[in-house]
Amino acid sequence: MPDGAEPVLDVKGLKTVFRTRGGEVHAVNSVSFDLRPGELLGVVGESGSGKSVTMMSLIGLLPSPPADVRGGTVMFDGTDLLHCSEEHLRSVRGARIGFIFQDPMTSLNPVFTIGFQLMEPLRKHMGLDKRAARARAAELLDLVGIPDPARRLDDYPHQFSGGMRQRVMIAIALACDPKVLIADEPTTALDVTIQAQILELVRELRQKLGMAIVWITHDLGVIAGIADRVMVMYGGQVVEQAPVGELFANPRHPYTRALLKTVPSVRGERTAKLNVIEGQPPILKAEPSACAFRGRCLHAMARCDRENPLRRMVGPGHDIACFWDPGQEEWQDA
Amino acid sequence: MLDRDAPATPRKLVEVKGLKMYFPITAGVLRRKVGDVKALDGISFDIFEGETLGLVGESGCGKSTCGRVILRLYAPTAGSIRIDGTEIAEADNQTLRPLRPSMQMVFQDPQASLNPRMTVAAIIGEPLDEHTQLSKTEKLDRIYELMDAVGLNRNFANRYPHEFSGGQRQRIGIARALALNPKFIVCDEPIAALDVSIQAQVVNLLEDLQDRLGLTYLFISHDLSMVRHIADRVAVMYLGRIAELAPRDALYDRPLHPYTQALLSAVPEPDPGIETDRKRIILTGDVPSPANPPKGCNFCTRCPRVMDVCRDIKPDLAEIEPGRFVACHLYETTAAAAGSTGASEDYERNQQGVSL
Repeated sequence: MPDGAEPVLDVKGLKTVFRTRGGEVHAVNSVSFDLRPGELLGVVGESGSGKSVTMMSLIGLLPSPPADVRGGTVMFDGTDLLHCSEEHLRSVRGARIGFIFQDPMTSLNPVFTIGFQLMEPLRKHMGLDKRAARARAAELLDLVGIPDPARRLDDYPHQFSGGMRQRVMIAIALACDPKVLIADEPTTALDVTIQAQILELVRELRQKLGMAIVWITHDLGVIAGIADRVMVMYGGQVVEQAPVGELFANPRHPYTRALLKTVPSVRGERTAKLNVIEGQPPILKAEPSACAFRGRCLHAMARCDRENPLRRMVGPGHDIACFWDPGQEEWQDA
Repeated sequence: MLDRDAPATPRKLVEVKGLKMYFPITAGVLRRKVGDVKALDGISFDIFEGETLGLVGESGCGKSTCGRVILRLYAPTAGSIRIDGTEIAEADNQTLRPLRPSMQMVFQDPQASLNPRMTVAAIIGEPLDEHTQLSKTEKLDRIYELMDAVGLNRNFANRYPHEFSGGQRQRIGIARALALNPKFIVCDEPIAALDVSIQAQVVNLLEDLQDRLGLTYLFISHDLSMVRHIADRVAVMYLGRIAELAPRDALYDRPLHPYTQALLSAVPEPDPGIETDRKRIILTGDVPSPANPPKGCNFCTRCPRVMDVCRDIKPDLAEIEPGRFVACHLYETTAAAAGSTGASEDYERNQQGVSL
């Protein structure tokens, strides 16, 4: 990936709070990251870690109330998406920033044909007439590997299988040649053999189209295979960020280490007993004043109760939000 | 682990033979029957006492139906189910009721399988109300004992399910399944709805309980890596039939059926070094509809090694090595020697990046 290039998306200090009957929930706490052209950034975390909310916040997809994006900047194409008109946001969403959602069953409208749903962004955002939009829609279906595309445009979503529907979702996201594609757990609802097909498709499409991708998942295996850089989230914060090889070879945050060790493998050594991370992920009722992971951390210190660690560099392109210094210790034995 | 892998004479606790479960497809106002969804199309296997049989497959392959039929939550269309020597495939409700305590189930979604209006104590105590005559204090003691066994705090007995996290709710479901001292538990995707860090907690709990109470599990899951961890033997299902059934290590080290090979190859490895170089077997297309399965082998529409015979004749599940069952024409007795070496060598070549 081109290093040092101007980032296509630059997020700084993003904060999102949900107002609920039980008080406020601080879902995203000062998240900062950037996305370089053509890069695939993996975002890993458990449910409730704030990974989806971060991505939804930055393009204004969260209903308000209850959501309240409290602060930060999201620079895209020279504009701050958090402080621009709704009209401008609408011209960006679905056009220059594409979205793929987790569940292909519920994100397509069952009463419209696939063709109609594919042509909608083409006509709205690119101003194509009906005939041109239809031709482009067929091209897109062909691009994502759906056989006999021209005929299938007139089919309804229920006539497609789960994997095919996810291909259609990808085609819709790609319709307007986005610069950035945000994929929120795009393969989680799919079976492994279908997931393998979709991952293969994404690898191909990246080479052909070269857009930057943010890929949200909880599956470390998927991340290992497709990401260039990985961001690990916990308690609404980025706790570790590193190039993919570095993250798996030399994880530095205690949470990342624990997470990598809890996952059993289908190949290699079989462990007699699974490693566990004791306890539960936190629900943040207030802005964190201490480390969110300290209750489950093997290396918690007195300082972790008093202060929320800031991200600090520990290697080239590698940063963690943790006070503990693993030093030269071999992490497998840690 | 080893001591329970190989007891001197393993006793069959569950014996399933030629089990079929067809769900009728109806049409029109008169609900005329127009076809069948063949959710289970003749499956046979045994589960030995104290072991965990993993049942894996993709969604729609019939693995959950299999778990439910074995516990007689459905009435099977044909076939035999013997649990602890008793034939229950045709048994009526009166006959089944006294047998129910020995066979229990842990469901996939702890949110949906717990009544939100009942307290934890009431949920865990309900089977005791139904099947035992314990006094109030005896019952409460038993509830506390069960909560301790699954690692739930006794002080939470009067709380409601919504006050617990997903992992804790699954513990409540497990405590309820244990209430009547069952011998056999069907775990239907017990960890699928949980986060990665919580999955390991629940799996370890299930293993501890098995060691302590000598339980026998049918562990249904689509997560091949977790099944490798927990199961002693593994059955792979495809479209209502068993494709392969083998001891765990044999299956994961050297899968024989082309579907098992593709399935294992599709699981991504959490290691970028391996992932980038690894050769994958990518299947084309989707699983056909179980209402209209292909003639011949169910897998023939997607099989990378399909032959002419596969499109005509359904292969039977045959024991080709001691303890290893495969339903595939590649391993038919006539061509056993040539076929079997060819296919598995091929697989090993494909997976070479992995074995490093």
